[in-house]
Amino acid sequence: MPKLGMSCFTVIYIPFYFLQCAQQQRLLRAANSNNMSSQQLFFDISIEDSCPDWGFPLFAEKTFAEIPAALLDQDGVHVIELNPAAERAGIRPGVSTSQALARAPELDLYTRALPHEQHIQDALIQLAYRYSPFIENSAPGVCTLDVKKTRNRQAGLRKLLAQLRAIGLKAQAGTGPNPEIALQAAKIADPILEISHDCNLLQSLPLESLEPSPFLLAILKNWGVRTLGALAHLPRVEIGNRLGLEGLSLWDRAAGRSMKVLQFIQPSETFEESLDFEQGLETLEPLLFILRRFLERLSLRTESVYLLIAELHLTLTLETGEEIVRSLQIPAPTRDVDRLFGIAVQYLETLQTAAPITSLHLKIKPSKPHGHQFDLFQGKLRDPNRFFQTLARLAALVGAEQVGTPQQINTHRPDSVRIQMPEFDWSVKKIHRPKIGPGLRRYRPGIPANVELNNDKPVSVQSTLISGKILQVLGPWNLSGNWWDRTRWEIREWDVALENGGIYRLAQSLGQWEIVGVYD
Amino acid sequence: MSASPEIIELRKILAERFPQEKGNYLLTPTGWPPLDSILGGGLPKGSITQLIVPHISSGAAIVLHEIIKSMHEHSQSVALIDGKNSFEPATDYPLLLWIRCQNALQALKATDLVLRDSNLPFSILDFKQNSDTELRKIPGTVWYRFQRILEENKSTLLAITRSPLVSSAQINVALMHRLLIDDMTSLRSEIIKFFSLEIIRQRPHLDCQYA
Repeated sequence: MPKLGMSCFTVIYIPFYFLQCAQQQRLLRAANSNNMSSQQLFFDISIEDSCPDWGFPLFAEKTFAEIPAALLDQDGVHVIELNPAAERAGIRPGVSTSQALARAPELDLYTRALPHEQHIQDALIQLAYRYSPFIENSAPGVCTLDVKKTRNRQAGLRKLLAQLRAIGLKAQAGTGPNPEIALQAAKIADPILEISHDCNLLQSLPLESLEPSPFLLAILKNWGVRTLGALAHLPRVEIGNRLGLEGLSLWDRAAGRSMKVLQFIQPSETFEESLDFEQGLETLEPLLFILRRFLERLSLRTESVYLLIAELHLTLTLETGEEIVRSLQIPAPTRDVDRLFGIAVQYLETLQTAAPITSLHLKIKPSKPHGHQFDLFQGKLRDPNRFFQTLARLAALVGAEQVGTPQQINTHRPDSVRIQMPEFDWSVKKIHRPKIGPGLRRYRPGIPANVELNNDKPVSVQSTLISGKILQVLGPWNLSGNWWDRTRWEIREWDVALENGGIYRLAQSLGQWEIVGVYD
Repeated sequence: MSASPEIIELRKILAERFPQEKGNYLLTPTGWPPLDSILGGGLPKGSITQLIVPHISSGAAIVLHEIIKSMHEHSQSVALIDGKNSFEPATDYPLLLWIRCQNALQALKATDLVLRDSNLPFSILDFKQNSDTELRKIPGTVWYRFQRILEENKSTLLAITRSPLVSSAQINVALMHRLLIDDMTSLRSEIIKFFSLEIIRQRPHLDCQYA
């Protein structure tokens, strides 16, 4: 094992990368259309070093590893990637679809899932970043890491592979003194392999593992050179004389002397997942199933770069081409999948679409974690996300304008209150309130009344609520405002004591009388 | 279950550091002295307290405003489930969650949501303006369900009603006062002096242990 401080590289390699991406996409679609239960496809996102196998990858392996599968090019004419079962059936890359099917009638054909491939590559880089900050995006499904200063390499690698399995990818890892050896080690690893410079294992590998050009490969095979070891035993200068720079490069790689310089990158801070459905969705359940899978993956990816999820950006495309876009703010950014899922479900349950949904795109806005210190005797919200979910439920029950924090509007017009989303500013200590008179309980709307006047003062009132003789009167209190525009208003108010012991407020506006409230 | 020595030691330190908080861990002080004093320090946590205000104009709105104001001054948020959308906020209440319901059924559903949420330790359910007809339709089991929720999350509910309604209330307090029209020009502090609060029923206290 390379010692800490010496040059050391690790390659994370996803075999049959394009095929795995296509298979994964089909699996999601199949789960969706077959109404598979969550248990059937459940994969746990919790990571345990000792237990890297979960239900989802196992399910995928059982289904796909034994059945020949081939990935077609974008035109759907030629095979570009095969799984081992297809290779065993005698199919080779480049053959046409009909030739492939002739050799293996049970062959499963896949088309490339281009957006999904990009998401998976992003996920690979983001997850690998947690293992080492010095990473190179080497190729689709291949990521090279400089692990010279990384401690606990084995444990870290096991965890990384487990995380990749959790998002449905079977990956292998190889560690070596240079990127080339690490890559070759990753290709033959099961699932982790660490090799040193003078390891004999590499020398037995076939030349094809270095992916030389067909022309060069043919020449070398004509010479009887079939393994890396056989090539490395030939004199380097003579190889250079006969095969040129390409031959020299191949010899260096075969001898483990390749000095490739890594091009380090920062992982993308774009976190998104998308899926096009083969058949439009008409019910919520399959959509929720996919959404939860997406959230689990995105949560894992944000965790790897030490971020939280602050916003869910959902885009649903309908069969008609219409797009429904909705951003769901997370009051207290979190990675808790249940909480995020709950917020999304709450929105989706109220959503009605005019046509079936044909695709789902989920993008999240990450945010940095914020510190939160609770005081001993201050009642701050323990679970803001739950609270804002409750607020949404209350809004659904009584109306969005009926729940919140009251705020006075700057006017003298009675009952001018604005309801705001609660912010709960705990720094407020002193509030100013009227110090004179009892409080009013307002009838909303006011109760129309017939009021009898004597000397311009009310003496009796009749309404559906109360009727009777007025014993005592205070008023009138004249209020008016907005006299300069069309919203002009003018109200005369009276406080009256009735025979029933109640003290009421009467208001006269535009010649109409109302009982606006009772003092209490 | 007895508390660990570390907890006991911590309680001692806190009692020395914050003497005013001593012994209040089973109570939710409303901050309004007349009510707190009659209840021995505050409303019992994990239960329902019913404030019965039989008269039409008797000062219940003043009590409501005083409690909300005091809770604000103690940096405590309050949920007010307004059974008939009758609350008149006299000023800005940044720590008040006001739920304006149109009827008793809506108010009960809202109360259920607020209590289950358990983020707000103190809630007020105001049924003073709701008609007897709709209040009579409330099944008694609703109150016992609320009681179970409160016991679980150790929050407090104050129900304001005109007549005894809450069968599972721990304490029933009556406010027997009649406002006069002269009170319209009196200071609230003067009006409050004439309030008479009376405990008309109190269930045996349940000994809850908090670790």
